[in-house]
Amino acid sequence: MDIIPSMEFPTRRSGLSRSLIWIILFGAITVILYASLPASVWPRLGQRLSVFATVFLGIFIEALPFLLMGTLSSGLVEVFLSDEWLARSAPRRALPAALAGASLGLIFPICECGTVPLARRLFRKGLPLPAGIAFLLAAPVLNPIVILSTATAFGWGRMLLWRLGLSLLMAISVGLAFSIERDSANILRVPIFKVGPGVVHTHSANETFMQKIRQALLISADEFFEMGRYLVFGASLAAILQAFISQTSLLTVGSGPILSVLVMLALAVLLSICSTVDAFIALGFLGTFSFGSVLSFLIFGPMVDIKSILMFLQVFRRKTVFYLVLLPLLMSLLAGLAFNYFSA
Amino acid sequence: MSLRVYRFLQALILLALVVFIGFKLISGTLSLYINMQYMPLTVFGIALLVIMMLVILPRPGPKLEEGQDHDAGHGHDISPAALVILIVPLLVGVLIPVHPLDATAAATRGMNVSAPLVGTSQTREFQSAADTRNILDWIVIFNSSADLSPYVGQSARVTGFVYHDPRLPADQFIVSRFVITCCTADASAIGMIVDWNQSADLKESSWVEVKGPVQASKLGGQPIPLIEASYVQATAQPDQPYLYP
Repeated sequence: MDIIPSMEFPTRRSGLSRSLIWIILFGAITVILYASLPASVWPRLGQRLSVFATVFLGIFIEALPFLLMGTLSSGLVEVFLSDEWLARSAPRRALPAALAGASLGLIFPICECGTVPLARRLFRKGLPLPAGIAFLLAAPVLNPIVILSTATAFGWGRMLLWRLGLSLLMAISVGLAFSIERDSANILRVPIFKVGPGVVHTHSANETFMQKIRQALLISADEFFEMGRYLVFGASLAAILQAFISQTSLLTVGSGPILSVLVMLALAVLLSICSTVDAFIALGFLGTFSFGSVLSFLIFGPMVDIKSILMFLQVFRRKTVFYLVLLPLLMSLLAGLAFNYFSA
Repeated sequence: MSLRVYRFLQALILLALVVFIGFKLISGTLSLYINMQYMPLTVFGIALLVIMMLVILPRPGPKLEEGQDHDAGHGHDISPAALVILIVPLLVGVLIPVHPLDATAAATRGMNVSAPLVGTSQTREFQSAADTRNILDWIVIFNSSADLSPYVGQSARVTGFVYHDPRLPADQFIVSRFVITCCTADASAIGMIVDWNQSADLKESSWVEVKGPVQASKLGGQPIPLIEASYVQATAQPDQPYLYP
């Protein structure tokens, strides 16, 4: 979103040639492998590539509508939502503020890529700290699109319930933890108040409705391409694991009560998949990884991953970011371990 | 790169995605990837892609366009690197031959002959005629029925692909199907062991129809169905190669 500084022109250029090289390389390798198939060096490689393609496209096609819905609603929120109204009507006391913040996502469905910029705008307009933090952590999960995609993947069952319940609980407790700090300047970065050129979107009142819709769609298209990358990476990794690595060797890792949770937590951070579609990636792991570890992936990933940490750093002081990562990490770990040890 | 070119590239990639997925939808190959129950979602997704594409497509009148657009593209990483990654699904789809999950996938992912991994809370119609039940029906019956006597000896007629499990003797094979709940990410292979003295002649992953009385066998204390095949015949791959719980 708007806080990722745009790259300098020369870097953009090299970005193009670099990515073109990668694409050409990828294509060439695929073609060469395909052509050299009957050489029976790896007799099953061709079939395995097909398995990879089928699983990868399965995840991609199933996740695509949800990613589109998420980015679309993010664009609409950005263009149509009045930040002033939102900040003004938020409760002041810590617990109600945290509760209200955590459930804000139900009305404004956006994934984690949209929450940080929105939270930043709201902080600037005076939203209480517990509300903003709880919103930041809960909104990527507690929203209609993510509920729908999780239910599509896992059914209306215990995975969905635990995901929602634990995310809510974690968001509220972290929000409350930050309410101890009275002075928000200790939490937020100072430059947040400094408005750079073109950082704040000013939407003139004389924009017509259609112009606003157009604006929202442009924003969502940008976000779609930005977030689509993470989906492609995540789906590739999940498909590679399924196509090339035998389930029995994965099971050794995936059924270890501690190791499985640690691995899934690490994956949640590294993959940085948009919360609207992470359920489909997680689904692929459920066969081999324990329930607790998959659940910890589903609650931790939307709160903390590479891209959200990068965005946190733009808004909060380093110490705050440290706790924003540590507290959800410990709680997700605890939840995953609890399920692996105490639940069948 | 100017914003106009950037928008044009974006629109082009969206169009390619629409054509790619639209083609899969029309040709029926979409069912190789997802549970067709969710097909309307895909149609909805295609519609959103089309709308998005039409809106971001740069219009004639360059001055106006740049002016209107300037605060949407900025700040985003407008490097083309971000765009080309979205081409990867198209490359994968075009360059790698399309195949439903088969015995290769089953070998990597494991074969289940006793219990469906999927949650099958819904009650299945066990009174159905024996020869209309598919492999999943038989597995669920043997997994959930306390008394198997009404089912043992019934004549089964099931279709699936051939899977040679290394643990089986030469005169047996597994007739298998993949069960898909949501999409291929959660596919799990289930199968019934078949007694057939020419098992070794059957080609791995080829589709067969198996007919014969069902017997109750045991695997690790768990009752599993076993077909004493009276005939095994090669058949075409069904339109929907997967079973849905």
